[in-house]
Amino acid sequence: MKTIQTILLLMLGILVFGGAIEFATEPVEAATGDPIVVIVNGANPVDDLSMGELKKLFMSDRSKWDTGKAVAPVIVVAGPAERTAFLKIVCGMNDADFSKYFLQAAFTGKSATPPREVPSSQGVKSVVGSSPGAIGFVKAGDFHGDGSEGAIKAVKVDGLTAGDSSYKLKM
Amino acid sequence: MRETMKNIFRKFLPVQIVGFAILIALSWTAFAQQPAPATASQGEINQQLLDRIAELEKEVKQLRQATNQSSIQTPTPPAPAPAPLPEPVAIVEITQANVVADRLKLNFFGDTGYQIGHFYGPANTFEFGEFDMFATARLSEHVSALGEILFTSSTDNSVGVDVERLLLKYRADDYFAASIGRIHTDIGYYNTAFHRGDYFQTTIGRPVMYEFDDQGGFLPLQDLGVVLEGKVPSGKLGLNYVFEVTNGRAYGINAEPAQNSTDGNNSKAVNLNMSAKPEWVPGLAVGFSVRHDYLSDVNNLRVSETIPVFYAVYNSAKYEWLNEAMVVRHARPVGPVYHTTAFYTQFSRRFGAYRPYFRYSYVNAPENDPIYGDPTEIQEVGRVNGPTVGMRYDFNDHAAFKLQYDREGTTDTKSINGGSGQFAFTF
Repeated sequence: MKTIQTILLLMLGILVFGGAIEFATEPVEAATGDPIVVIVNGANPVDDLSMGELKKLFMSDRSKWDTGKAVAPVIVVAGPAERTAFLKIVCGMNDADFSKYFLQAAFTGKSATPPREVPSSQGVKSVVGSSPGAIGFVKAGDFHGDGSEGAIKAVKVDGLTAGDSSYKLKM
Repeated sequence: MRETMKNIFRKFLPVQIVGFAILIALSWTAFAQQPAPATASQGEINQQLLDRIAELEKEVKQLRQATNQSSIQTPTPPAPAPAPLPEPVAIVEITQANVVADRLKLNFFGDTGYQIGHFYGPANTFEFGEFDMFATARLSEHVSALGEILFTSSTDNSVGVDVERLLLKYRADDYFAASIGRIHTDIGYYNTAFHRGDYFQTTIGRPVMYEFDDQGGFLPLQDLGVVLEGKVPSGKLGLNYVFEVTNGRAYGINAEPAQNSTDGNNSKAVNLNMSAKPEWVPGLAVGFSVRHDYLSDVNNLRVSETIPVFYAVYNSAKYEWLNEAMVVRHARPVGPVYHTTAFYTQFSRRFGAYRPYFRYSYVNAPENDPIYGDPTEIQEVGRVNGPTVGMRYDFNDHAAFKLQYDREGTTDTKSINGGSGQFAFTF
């Protein structure tokens, strides 16, 4: 009984102490609310992906599409707001967690390959347009959707398009 | 008269001929040594030479241009690139990454620190923990290799070298992969979630039940054999399986636990680990593993060993809550059955770069257990339990500092305390 009490007190202490540190150090982030569009190659028949499926695709937990094509996620390099928001909402991670995840995955022997990084949204679109298994994301302002950007198309997330008010994937 | 003329010719002709020849030669030499005729002055000649040089240079330039054009020409002319053609290199790379073998990847892990208190030893000391060299390579689209070499310090201050893991893996798809080599056994959760490399694990050191068998631990955590693993088609339930057939562990005091090249008996250890990672609770994993092996003791008596482990863990960016419980069942062909119980719970929460943590570990092996109870044959296990409290601070995503307090009670001795600090890093 005494041991259990000690355990509970220690756990409570951790939470209180940690909460105080978090309150003092957590940065305040302003969300602009701009949606993030998930894009795939135009030849990919997929039209709708759940958040869970997106997480699997970008965290190398699923290696092939239903068509048999290898999944090839592509992501803009660290820095832009759409990357930060995407990792936070879809993967529940920040950049450091994301890179650590793949390092640890390799260490545990998993066949996990991190997404290909490109310098800009234009690069994401180019890669997705040129690779049948590629998937990426760009902020809505960088996606025209009129066919002028090559063989890419937007997919719904949890059945919603980027224009829907309840669309969750926003910066 | 005629005779006189003949005599004169006979007398003087040779002289005349020779003299004429000399005269001709001298004349010719003199002609050759004379200045150029007045029709071409020195300036004109120079100009002609310069013109000739310029003409040759022009020809050389034309030839060079022709050579360069032929070397850069491709079978098909380059397609007209769109005006803002971005990152053409990235496009090439992603194609290569999907088709061609990846490069060798190499990482190092290390930790060093300071320890105080009887929990760790007779005196306070700086300590070199481990230096881990880890390499992976994609040999083809489906085949990869993994190697891990560990340098670790011992209580006698020697530094030992161990081939920790060496695996050749064939991965057909998400549902089937087969490996062969030296492994960390998939008992429960912790052993294959963290392996070596203290950097990845939140705390300093492992839970008592997962201490490595070549460092005093009692579970068979390293082995050699074949591993089959993959996902089970189960939708959002996210079922996974791992099945191992291995040599099993060696038994006896001072024996190397992993039977690297010689198995003590013909029976092989088998281990099945089933887990579920439900999509509707990201970060949650629940599962169990069951391992069975026959050990041959020093008297060549067979001891049946069965190790069921149950686990429920939750990992998110902020929270980590690990819970595992197990029983080790030992039975000789005749006689009583012995059960060793163990569990641990570990909780941590991240606050920015800080992560305070708490863990409680418990192990209790019967004193008369045929494997864990005889100190003349193997390191006695007995009862070991106690809490661990600490704080981890991540400098960045490659280095962390941990500060930890441990308290441990055992069957026969008074509880002991220890404090330690550790820098763990990867590069």
